[in-house]
Amino acid sequence: MFLLTQVTGLLAGIGATVLGALAGIGRVTLFALDALRHLLAPPFYFAEIGRQFMRIGYYSLPVVGLTTLFTGGALALQIYAGGARFNAESVVPSIVAIGMVRELGPVLAGLMVAGRVSAAIAAELGTMRVTEQIDALYTLSTNPMKYLVLPRLIAATIALPLLVLVGDSIGIMGGYLVGVERLGFDPDTYLKTTVDFLENGDVLSGLMKAAVFGFIVALMGCYMGYNSAGGAQGVGRATTNAVVSASVLILASNYILTELFFAV
Amino acid sequence: MTAKLELTGITKSFGRKTVLRGVDLSIPEGQNLVILGGSGSGKSVLLKCILGLLRPDAGTVRIDGQEIGARDDAVLSRFGMLFQGGALFDSLTVWQNISFRLRQGQNRLSRTEARDLAIEKLRRVGLTPDVADLLPAELSGGMQKRVGLARAIAAEPEIIFFDEPTTGLDPIMAGVINDLIREVIADLGATGITITHDMISMRAVGDHVALMLDGKVHWTGPAAEVDTCGDPHVTQFVSGSASGPIATVR
Repeated sequence: MFLLTQVTGLLAGIGATVLGALAGIGRVTLFALDALRHLLAPPFYFAEIGRQFMRIGYYSLPVVGLTTLFTGGALALQIYAGGARFNAESVVPSIVAIGMVRELGPVLAGLMVAGRVSAAIAAELGTMRVTEQIDALYTLSTNPMKYLVLPRLIAATIALPLLVLVGDSIGIMGGYLVGVERLGFDPDTYLKTTVDFLENGDVLSGLMKAAVFGFIVALMGCYMGYNSAGGAQGVGRATTNAVVSASVLILASNYILTELFFAV
Repeated sequence: MTAKLELTGITKSFGRKTVLRGVDLSIPEGQNLVILGGSGSGKSVLLKCILGLLRPDAGTVRIDGQEIGARDDAVLSRFGMLFQGGALFDSLTVWQNISFRLRQGQNRLSRTEARDLAIEKLRRVGLTPDVADLLPAELSGGMQKRVGLARAIAAEPEIIFFDEPTTGLDPIMAGVINDLIREVIADLGATGITITHDMISMRAVGDHVALMLDGKVHWTGPAAEVDTCGDPHVTQFVSGSASGPIATVR
């Protein structure tokens, strides 16, 4: 009897967790659809989209650039050390390029932007919620989803692929600098190998991943901030939840997208 | 006198908690109704139900005898609201805050027209034009309230809500805000609802008073009769006494 109670309790706990997770997914999906339906009808806040594009994209350039630069360099060192075990040091340029463009560029840029932008969006919208600024928008005949959420979704979805394009280039340059200056590769050969091995599909798949990650970053920041409650503590919780959920979703969707693009 | 705003049977629950239990109110045109009530009595929820920020479970809202349905732009443009904390948009300057509504929609004003109008409204609430280009964070609490008031009246609404307009202000600034509320309502010929716990403010701005208890209107009458009505609940609330029929938690 005791064992049965324990098992029933355990199953009930698992069930409640699963139902809670599904309900959460449903709420986020409805929130996204509610925002996206405003794509179809005016007014369109182009100035707001531009402002968010600068905040999300342009001001994230330093952090993404530095992250990919050091990662490209470290990747070159690791591949060289690993390749040396079976006399395959020459694969460094191609693996650095493919690794950066397909995987590390989008994922690292996504995670860095999740930390910087998701938190900022959640804190901004959360503060607007608890100080009644979102209510004020509504009373001033402005739909908050259209004015606050949609511009951020659009801006992040466009900005992240561009950031990743820059990040990929800087990451490959990081590998090039380490390869040439530290590992003794011939500069011309390094560049030629990089260009020869990279295919359009590698770059495009990375950019498509980046667009999805950008959408996720903005969506989770907006969702958590928009629905925050409970004063300063609630805003803090929204900020943390935005970064954590965006990061996890980026990693999960990265796997799914990789399966879609490159499944053998 | 005809009712400008009429509420009938407004009911609102959040889960199992019923906040409004059938609120009936009628506010004559050009008058200011002050709603009194303890924290959690449903005053702010009532305003949000009228504005459409919350959807009431039951009840009707009528303006000029016509029931209003969806709160579209045409309906919302008839309302102005001064929020408790001002609710000014942090990222916009003072003049952009004031003219925000007027920069939306098909008949929106140009940037120059909107700025000029904002400065005119700033003067109306006793602020100088040099405030126009400041951000809300650069203003004192009293100035933020004035800017919030300027924003509420910018589009010259028919009905204006004031949510605890004097909370957090010193007595002199509270007096200034009370005078401004009186003046703008008279200037615009608007109808007002003011939520307040400030009895001085209630006497200064109110034509009529309603006391809400447990999600219902317990008493309503002219502001001049608040002290003489003889209702023990009203007397306790107005005098601020801890002992009386309204239960207090210590």
